[in-house]
Amino acid sequence: MDTNDDDDHPYINEETEIGHSTVQVRCAPAQRIVPPLNFCPVERYLYRSGQPSPVNFPFLLDLQLKTIIWLANEEPQDTLLEFCDAHSVQLQFVTINPDGGEDDNPWDGLTEHSIVTALQLIVQAQNYPLLVCCGMGRHRTGTVIGCLRRIMGWNLASVSEEYRRFTGSRGGRILVELLIEAFDTGLVKINRADAPRWLQSVGGMETKR
Amino acid sequence: MNDDDISVESRLQELGPSDSINVVQLLKQEDQEIEAKLGLDSGILDVHRTIKEHPGLEKRVGAILDKFYPRERSQSHTERYEEDIDDIYDVEEHREKSDVTKKDMGSAKDVVPPENFSHIVGEIYRSSFPRPENFPFLQNSIKLKSIMVLFPEEYPQENLDFMSKAGIKLFQIGMSGNKEPFVNIPSDLLTSALEVAINPENHPILIHCNRGKHRTGCLVGCIRRLQNWSLTMIFDEYRRFAFPKARALDQQFIEMYDEDKIKQIAKEKNWLPIKW
Repeated sequence: MDTNDDDDHPYINEETEIGHSTVQVRCAPAQRIVPPLNFCPVERYLYRSGQPSPVNFPFLLDLQLKTIIWLANEEPQDTLLEFCDAHSVQLQFVTINPDGGEDDNPWDGLTEHSIVTALQLIVQAQNYPLLVCCGMGRHRTGTVIGCLRRIMGWNLASVSEEYRRFTGSRGGRILVELLIEAFDTGLVKINRADAPRWLQSVGGMETKR
Repeated sequence: MNDDDISVESRLQELGPSDSINVVQLLKQEDQEIEAKLGLDSGILDVHRTIKEHPGLEKRVGAILDKFYPRERSQSHTERYEEDIDDIYDVEEHREKSDVTKKDMGSAKDVVPPENFSHIVGEIYRSSFPRPENFPFLQNSIKLKSIMVLFPEEYPQENLDFMSKAGIKLFQIGMSGNKEPFVNIPSDLLTSALEVAINPENHPILIHCNRGKHRTGCLVGCIRRLQNWSLTMIFDEYRRFAFPKARALDQQFIEMYDEDKIKQIAKEKNWLPIKW
């Protein structure tokens, strides 16, 4: 195991995940829009980020999200739950390690099962506009997006470059990249008629016209 | 003086491509001779300056040095820009890499986006300089309508050929990067670049410079300002793509850019807010 993982303990890390003794920014700088941490568009109407907080809600409204995929064992902040409720955004929990129980470490990687569950939601256009997020929008989100790129047929160097762009100063985790490389893209069932437009021209899925 | 030049010249011409050591020795020898003649006692004479001051000689020595160090010399041409070598588009470098790819384009099944490729908003994309291996991706996956390049150098022919075949329009906005201690990107230039970038008629559009870090980063930062993003998050995004070469000056530029004019244009043409 990578001993550096200790550095990522969420309660030691100053950029903590679930807001334990962190400074709360309650309102945005005047008239400014604040996207969530590590926010970036992935494809048309598909976005990625860290956990959105109240300061980001006006921005999220702009995106007119239909679905948010939350990649974690624990629930997100109450404010996010309330936001989703109030604006009828479907919040989809994808537990990262269903067998882990209470002892589970929040910095554990995703299981193959949870990756497939998340991707199965992503390949259906009816869930769009869609935001994929986890605590920091680094490793778990990066794993899912990396596997999506594999499905799209991206070469691995580009997938890795994209993943590392979001991992911050401590860099990428080899285990995450191994997971992405080894991911069996055949596990995700894509129904061409239901897939988002940008996915329809992928590899063997080319529609005949 | 003239006689000496001819002898240097003829001796240089006698050299074969494998005689690099001889060139160095010859130059050293010339050093000493000229030094003795001019009565200098500084130890080492600046042979480079001596050669430079004589136009005919400079050309011939240059031609020979090119045989040994083609890459180093082509980079030294770009010194006048005072930029990171990374940022500068280098025709030689581009062609060399392209030739290599052409040879092993065997595994064409992979989808290969350019380095630093990403969506920005809607159908606006960013990346580093696209190479031949990226062309299928740009044509088939992104279905580009336009490309905007942010450097003043001539665009390579193979990219132009690809673009005319794929029906992609080229916009060139020649800006030089922001290098300490000066901010070099004029605001007007950026305004015209933004006018191209956010015009829906040009979408899908790819914006690129050489590495897709600094110039492209500045432009994207200004697009974010049109979206009213907070500066903190704009800088965060800038640094993510510029890593590990983020520049404080680029961030200053993004903050100082006067957006009034482009906002007025965009308002008239109904381009705002930019659609996600």
